[in-house]
Parts: sequence; C-alpha cells; structure tokens
Amino acid sequence: MNPELQRNLWLEASPFRLALIAGLLLLVFAAGSVAPSGMMTTSHAALGLYWFFAVLWGTRSAALSVVAEIRERTWDSQKLSSIGPWTMVWGKLFGATAANWFGALVCLPFILWPVWRDDGMGAGLLYGVILLSLGVFAQAVALLSSLVLIHRQSGNWRLDTFLCQVAGIGAAFAYYSLWSSIRAFEQSGTTTLVWWGRDFTLSSFHLMSLLLFLGWALIGCWRAMRSELRFANGPYVWLAYLAYLAIYGAGFESVIGVKLQGQFDVPPGSIPLALAGFSLMATAYGMAFLEPKDPVRLRWLGDQIRSGRLYSAFLATECWMLSYGATLIVGLCLALSWADTPSAALAVLAMLGFMTRDICIFLLGRMFGGPKGDFAALGILAALYLLLPTLLRHANTGFLLVPLGQPTWSVVAAWAQGIGLAVWVTHQIRESFTVR
Amino acid sequence: MIEITDLVFDYPGHRALNGVNLSIAAGAITALVGPNGAGKTTLLRLMAALETPYDGRVTIDGLDTRAAPRAIHERLGYLPDFFGLYDALSVRRCLFYAARSHGIGPGEARGAAEAAAARVGLEGRMEQPAGALSRGLRQRLAIAQAIVHRPRVLLLDEPAAGLDPQARRDLSHLLLELRDDGMTLVVSSHILAELEDYSDRMVIVDNGRIAGGESIALKTNRLRIVLAEARDGLADALKAHGAEVLEAGTDRAIVSVADQAAARAALLAGLIAAGYPVCEFTEDTQALEEVYFSRVKGRP
Repeated sequence: MNPELQRNLWLEASPFRLALIAGLLLLVFAAGSVAPSGMMTTSHAALGLYWFFAVLWGTRSAALSVVAEIRERTWDSQKLSSIGPWTMVWGKLFGATAANWFGALVCLPFILWPVWRDDGMGAGLLYGVILLSLGVFAQAVALLSSLVLIHRQSGNWRLDTFLCQVAGIGAAFAYYSLWSSIRAFEQSGTTTLVWWGRDFTLSSFHLMSLLLFLGWALIGCWRAMRSELRFANGPYVWLAYLAYLAIYGAGFESVIGVKLQGQFDVPPGSIPLALAGFSLMATAYGMAFLEPKDPVRLRWLGDQIRSGRLYSAFLATECWMLSYGATLIVGLCLALSWADTPSAALAVLAMLGFMTRDICIFLLGRMFGGPKGDFAALGILAALYLLLPTLLRHANTGFLLVPLGQPTWSVVAAWAQGIGLAVWVTHQIRESFTVR
Repeated sequence: MIEITDLVFDYPGHRALNGVNLSIAAGAITALVGPNGAGKTTLLRLMAALETPYDGRVTIDGLDTRAAPRAIHERLGYLPDFFGLYDALSVRRCLFYAARSHGIGPGEARGAAEAAAARVGLEGRMEQPAGALSRGLRQRLAIAQAIVHRPRVLLLDEPAAGLDPQARRDLSHLLLELRDDGMTLVVSSHILAELEDYSDRMVIVDNGRIAGGESIALKTNRLRIVLAEARDGLADALKAHGAEVLEAGTDRAIVSVADQAAARAALLAGLIAAGYPVCEFTEDTQALEEVYFSRVKGRP
C-alpha cells in the first residue's frame, strides 16, 4: 500500500471515528424518514451532509494534509523520503480525507436513489459521477492551493488553511451553481451550448468541463509536489495549462462575444482572442497574488539573463511571469487586430499597462511587507480600482488609474505607472541586499 | 564523501553563506560549530538537498544536490534542529512508516523498524504513542527514523539540545557506534563540550564562511607521555620502541605512533620494562574550545 495513504488512514480513519460518523448519519437519516411532510427530506439532508463531508470539511482536511505537516515540523522528513510526487499526492488527497469520504459515501445512496427512481438509472449515475468529481475537485483545488501557499511562508497556518478552503469551496460552488441552473436553462428552451461553433448538450458540456478542470487540478498538485520534493519542473506544464485555458475561454465566442461585439463594434474574428486574453490575465493576477515572488530568486533569474544563461532562466520562470508574458503577447495581437477601432485598441493597451503596474504592486508588496504584503497589495488595488476612481469622478481623471475614458491619456498614464514601478522593483531587487 | 565548492546561499536581504569550500571525509564524525546565525543550519540543509544554492555546488557521494536531490535523499538521513513526530502513532508505526517512505518493501519494513528501534534503545516502547515519549526518547525516535534506511550520511542539527546528561551520553555512544559502522556523520552544535566526546574533526562556520578555510582534525596519532619523576634518555628510549618523537624532555614527551592498539601497548610495555615510571599515557587531543576561539577572532 502507498505508505502515505497508510499513514493517513492510521491517523484519520480510526474504527471509532468511522463508527461515530456512520452512527450519527444513520440517526439523521432515520429522523428524516419519519419527519412530517413539508420538512426537509432525507435526500436533501443527505445532500447537505455530502457537501459538509466532501467539500466543507474535505477541503480543510486536504489543505491540512500539507499545512499541518509544516506546522508539526514533519514536512522536511517527508521531503527527504523516497515517495514519488504522484504517490504523495494521491496518498494525501484520499488519505487525509478518508473520514470525509467515508461520511460522503454513506450519504451518497440517499441522494442518488430518488434521482434513479424518478429519472432513471442513467440520470442517477450521472449525478453520482458529478457529485464524486465535485468532491475530488474541491479537495484537489484546496491541496493545490496549500502547496502553492506554503512557499509564501506566512507562518499563519490558520489563515493558509482558510484560504485553501475558500479556494476549494469556491471552485466547487461555482461549478455546482452552473450545474444546478441547467434545469432552469432547459425550461427556458436553452438545451445546448455552442463552443467553438459546435453544439453540446448543457449537461455533457458541464460534466466534461468539470472532468477537464479536475484533471488540471490533479496535474497542478503533481507539479507542485514535484517542486516540493526537489524535482526540477520547468515551465511547460503551466504553458500547456495557459494554452488550454485560452482555448477553453475563447470557445465561448457565441455566448460572451456577442455582447462584446455589440459594445465595441470590433471585428468578429478577434473575439476569441479577447476571451483568451481575459482568461490569461486572470491567471496572471491570480498567480501574482499566490506565488512567493522571492526577491532572491528574482535576482538569481536576473543574474542568469545577464550572464547569457537564457535557457536556465526560462526553466526557472515562475507561473505569474509566464501568464504575464502570455497576456502581453495576446493583448498586443488583439490591439493590432483592433487597429481599425482605435478606442478599443487603446483600451487594450491601457489594460496591459495597468496590469504591469498591478503586478509590480504585488512584487513591491512582497519585498516590503513579506507574505502579508500580498494582502496589502490587494488593498492598494482595491483603492486604485474602486475607491480613487469614485473620488476622482468629478474631476474626470479616473482614466489615470483605470482603463476608462480618454483612451490615449489612459495608455500613457498606465504605461508610465507600469514602467516606473518596474524600474523601482528592479532597483529594489538589486540594491536592497548586503553581502557580509 | 561530501564536497562543497564555492557555495553561496542568500536569504532576502543578506548572504547566509559566502563562498564556502569544504571537504568532509567518509567514516568520520565532523562537528559543525559556530555562533548562532553563522550559517550552520543553512549549510546542513544545503547538504541535505533541501535548499538550492544561489551559486556553487554540493556533492554527496559524487552526486550533485542540484542535479540529483532524490538520489541523495536515499543515501542520507537528516535530523533538523526542530523536528516533529506523528504524536498519535505508536513508535512501531512511526518507524514502519519511515522505513516504507524510504523505499523499504512492506516485508522488510517491519524488521528495519525493529532494528532501528533496538539501535536507539526503544525496543521496549514499540507500542507507546510518540506523543507520550519524553524529550530524550523523542530525540531517539527521531534519530531512529533518520537511520531506519541505513543511510551512508547522517546530518544532525543540534541533536543534544534540551537533553539531560544521561541522554547526552547515550547520544554520544550512539553516534560513535554509527560511525564505527561506517556512517559519515555531520553534527551541528554551538555547545562545544558535548562535541568533544565524539567528534573526529571540526568545521567552524563564522559569518557565512569556514573559519580557517578547512576542517580541523581533533583526534591525531599523537600520544602524550608523562613520567612520575624525571629520567634521562627518554627520547632515545621512545625511538628505540618505534615511536616518532615530536617533543621530549626529561619527564614528558609527545610522540607519534601508528593508530593501532598493539603498537601503543608495545610502546608502553617497553617503557615500563626499561624502568621509566610512566604515570600518564594518553591521546594528545586538541582542546576543542581552544581551537575554536583561536579561529573565531574577537569572540572570546
């Protein structure tokens, strides 16, 4: 047996704990079966408890499978073991959540039976696959978040665990809310979704999307674990994910693109590029917040570039750098394709400039504030995008801070801020260092 | 066994190790000493391939820590200064997991766990939870976990911190046994007295560099001989019995002899047979504290 799984089963799935969970659940279901009609049914109670075990508590267990190792100072010995990255990932993912899955699996028949009875076996099985995938997806996102967050060395395990839980629950809830709304769409006459010009039924597209993102979450866990276990990763997996995300996002042209086109009157063929650009930009901001942005590593990268070891630097690039670079390339292509609509092209250039500024704010936040600096950077961005434009509205100068109005001046202001902060960041990396 | 070349390691804002060059011989216990914050723990973590150097390289048994960290982990045991145990697991399960996680098969892991426990004197506590052990016993369990896969190199960071005198003595004996079994040990500490009992060589880390530029031999083939009363011809008598005389007077001498018990016994027997009243016949070790302060300037 996978030693990591076995150790987790010893710790998390004691016979007493499992018996307690089973006993409590069966009591709840027994109470549900004799409750007066109109009150919550057994299947509703089971669904709520499934969410509790698999998602709410499961994401916490998955996040703690790494965070607690650091808190208890056992992580170094795990890193020194011979356990491979994938073995370690699934040992933690299913071992640390063993009690959660036990509770969730006890709930599952009570959820699926009414669906099976009313809509047939196929619908019941599909719902079962959705629920199981959703649980694994939430926990995989929480585990992945914990593997990214530990590099920040915040020293606050409660906050780290909470953030990982939020990420996992958010991912599961976002997906489930889409899944739940399928019936409403179908009742309004929308039964298919067009993606890259092809029709898909809503349920099959949602299931495929969930399974694909679950696959990427697991690949992400594997890649992050490789890094923890001192394997060299390289940027290729993240680049592949960016390509996937850009293609996935761009496929919704007929859903979102129509609205964009109506607003900006841009060539229809460029809409997928815009959607791809937005997807990439989201990852640039996300990873700029999550990744450690270690000044020593940045200085080392600078040294590699200066000494001509470009491939070595490329292999060591961080995810936020790749996302930022990809967004810049796609954004410039988009601006070129919108050359006939100058206001739209300038808006894109301004957005790229403001993104450069924002990434530099995250970097400076890290340099001056350590791990807490990322939250300070978020606060500054909230002020820049929400508070200050509102205050400057009467002076009509909000375009200096956000890409709205006065396109030409907005581009100038955005890139002046972006380049200015980039120079400051470079200076900080090189100068605020002493050799004793 | 361990080769360190031009090693540089940075933390944000300062350089922790600045061009360290060092060679650590196989089958010896090397003490890594130095003031707090000198870079000892960072150096050990770099040797354990837990950190990546900014520049320079570390090789263990010919393997580069940057290129083959996992292969190094298979050959290495490491006890950090602040270690953790799975408190809810029994000693047996802790060691079984440690063995399995180091690639020992399920069939052999049980035997490996029991052998490691016996080695550190925990064989009678196999079913006790790790959380119920005393500080000294926890330390022993942590060492057992680090040696369960019989590594070629064992790195210990402040292993005696917080131990009582008996536990420290037991630790010294254990480290000497491991060395005698052929293991290479590097032990970091800032308590010099405890290192004197078992260290063969000493490396002083000061301000991110190796003071003096190399490791210092603490145990030599030198013997110190003292007579109860002065006698002429001591140097000639020593030479006649095969010793190389380094210093000699009428009542004391320092000689170099082969590091073999038989050669030393023969020398002692010869001196007594020749009527020399030998009252002291001991290894001429260098006092660790003396060497340390002679190298670390301005830190009395």
